[in-house]
Amino acid sequence: MNVLIIEDEKALAHELELFLVKNNYICEVSNNGISASEKIAVNLYDFILLDLGLPDYEGLDLLKEAKKANPEAACIILTARAEVNDRVKGLDLGADDYLAKPFSLLELQSRMQAITRRKFGITQNIIELDGFLVNLTERTIIYQDQAVNAITKKEFDLIAYMLLHKNRTLTRAQLSEHIWGSVINDDYDSNFIDAHIKNIRKKLSTFAPADWLETVRGLGYRIKTNV
Amino acid sequence: MKLTTKLTLFNAISKLVIVTLFILLLPNIIENINKSYNDSRLLKQKNKLLQIVKEKGIQTYIENGESYGMYLPLKEEYISLDEVEPGYHLDTIRDEQRLVERDTIDYRILSHTFKVDNKNYLLEIGKSTETIGETTGPLQNIAFQLLLGMILLTILADQIFSTYILRPLNIIIKTKLIGNKFPKFTVYKEVKTSTTDFQLLDLSIHKMVETIETTFQKEREFISNASHELMTPISILQSKIENMFELDIADELKVRLLEMQKILNRLKSITKTLLLISQIENEQFLKEDKISARYLLQDVYDEISIRLQDRNISLAILVIDDVELINVNKFLLFNMLFNLINNAIKYNKPDGEITVSAQWVKNNYTISIADTGIGIADEELPYIFNRFKKLKQSLSQDSFGLGLPIVKSIAVFHKIGINVVSEKGEGSTFTLTFPQKVTGELPAK
Repeated sequence: MNVLIIEDEKALAHELELFLVKNNYICEVSNNGISASEKIAVNLYDFILLDLGLPDYEGLDLLKEAKKANPEAACIILTARAEVNDRVKGLDLGADDYLAKPFSLLELQSRMQAITRRKFGITQNIIELDGFLVNLTERTIIYQDQAVNAITKKEFDLIAYMLLHKNRTLTRAQLSEHIWGSVINDDYDSNFIDAHIKNIRKKLSTFAPADWLETVRGLGYRIKTNV
Repeated sequence: MKLTTKLTLFNAISKLVIVTLFILLLPNIIENINKSYNDSRLLKQKNKLLQIVKEKGIQTYIENGESYGMYLPLKEEYISLDEVEPGYHLDTIRDEQRLVERDTIDYRILSHTFKVDNKNYLLEIGKSTETIGETTGPLQNIAFQLLLGMILLTILADQIFSTYILRPLNIIIKTKLIGNKFPKFTVYKEVKTSTTDFQLLDLSIHKMVETIETTFQKEREFISNASHELMTPISILQSKIENMFELDIADELKVRLLEMQKILNRLKSITKTLLLISQIENEQFLKEDKISARYLLQDVYDEISIRLQDRNISLAILVIDDVELINVNKFLLFNMLFNLINNAIKYNKPDGEITVSAQWVKNNYTISIADTGIGIADEELPYIFNRFKKLKQSLSQDSFGLGLPIVKSIAVFHKIGINVVSEKGEGSTFTLTFPQKVTGELPAK
């Protein structure tokens, strides 16, 4: 998939590019509004990652141009400006999603995946893990026709997030950013992820061992699957 | 005590003291006036008599060497003329006693010797002292009543005048100082007064308020800008660290990256919190949500239950009266309650208890969060909502003292009152009192 990264902060643009290329995206980078405007007019992209705070260009104008020239492209606004008005304006102008800086690359990736799923109407999102059927759309886990009802909303969020990044070790910070992103509180280093994982394991093991949910010593957690 | 009262009181007391002194001295003064008036009358009478003697001769009074004497029927006045030895000389006015028809009476007596036809005569004119002093009493009374009336009148006048003259001061205090809510100020409106001191006071207060306002504004802008500016470098570092995890590196290095990520998260969390506070203070949030108190508390419970489990703390949510909170920002209210309950967990004892109750207290809807925790010392209580004022008890915790400032900002933004009662070692109770604009109704009676 083609991605245009519009970000005047070169270091950040570079990191975004590195990450996306590694995840099989094809990237182009614009460090200013003028070149971005040209690229939008000439090329077709699947994704446009747009920084609103460009020094030479009104970010929202760029968004309008993109919507006109590249109606198929999904636009994700990346900005430090998290004010309600900007957010509303951006989404009203047709942006598909909104990420406030600083954001996690994995968060960006899962949002891109979610947009892709929506766009391509993928509803069959059932993943099989040693007999457990995880339905990402309906948010259910079934083991041999029996629903694992005890799983809470937060616990399912965790499983789903790890599934989207299957076979990759996720640190506690990454997981916690994903499931507690909107809660602002002043404990920066909560290890409540461990408690959640413990609960998930306990609940799943009443059905069958869930060895696919691995602890990576000292680092974090990972869902290992061949699917 | 009010300034006008003080001024009036001082005026009244000082006047009373002066008048009392005057009234005490009055008999003496009147006596002196009477005496000198009387003396001058005696002198006039003497001169008149001498004039008669000069014109008509001494024979008018003394015939055949007999002495002359005459007094009024009530013996109030008398006059006597006597021949005395040639060498005798007297010219005085003094108080003496005289025996008149078996009565001994006090007189003010003018004695004067003079010569006519080589004979020496003594003239005495006397006036009874009693008649001299008899006006003193009534005079004193009249003076006393008159003065008292005048005092009352002046006190009244003083009161009216001082109230009038100090009115601008009252207006300044009421509209400029008490009426203003820091850090939000009303537009400057000149207080009308002809007193230059008050004009100066009004202007100085206005300038001071302006300075404070500018400082507040600058602080808000600074925090907002600084937090925004910090976001980009944090973003770069975060992406760099995340990308390094993807590299094929030793676990040992990954653990070190994890440490860096932790520190970065702390930085991110502080910046995000500051940004949130500055956004609240700059009124960047809308208050258009509607949510029931029960639902909101349940939401917080779902989010926080893992933390309770972690420390084996029990949480009881007693929604005694449920109410739909209107004109609120759900995200902010959630954060406020989350932080309060999270604190109740953090500063609780293991196996402790937390009770959250939502109910009407008189005409106000309140949510109170009571814990069985370590409590807050009295001397720390006034500072708990201060930004970065780290409490001693939180030093060992993974926090940076911004939880309560968030709570405070959100409460102020919604005009929710916060009251804290705490006892060291026993626990704390935070009570939120919602304004009617948020609860939208009064309790069903």
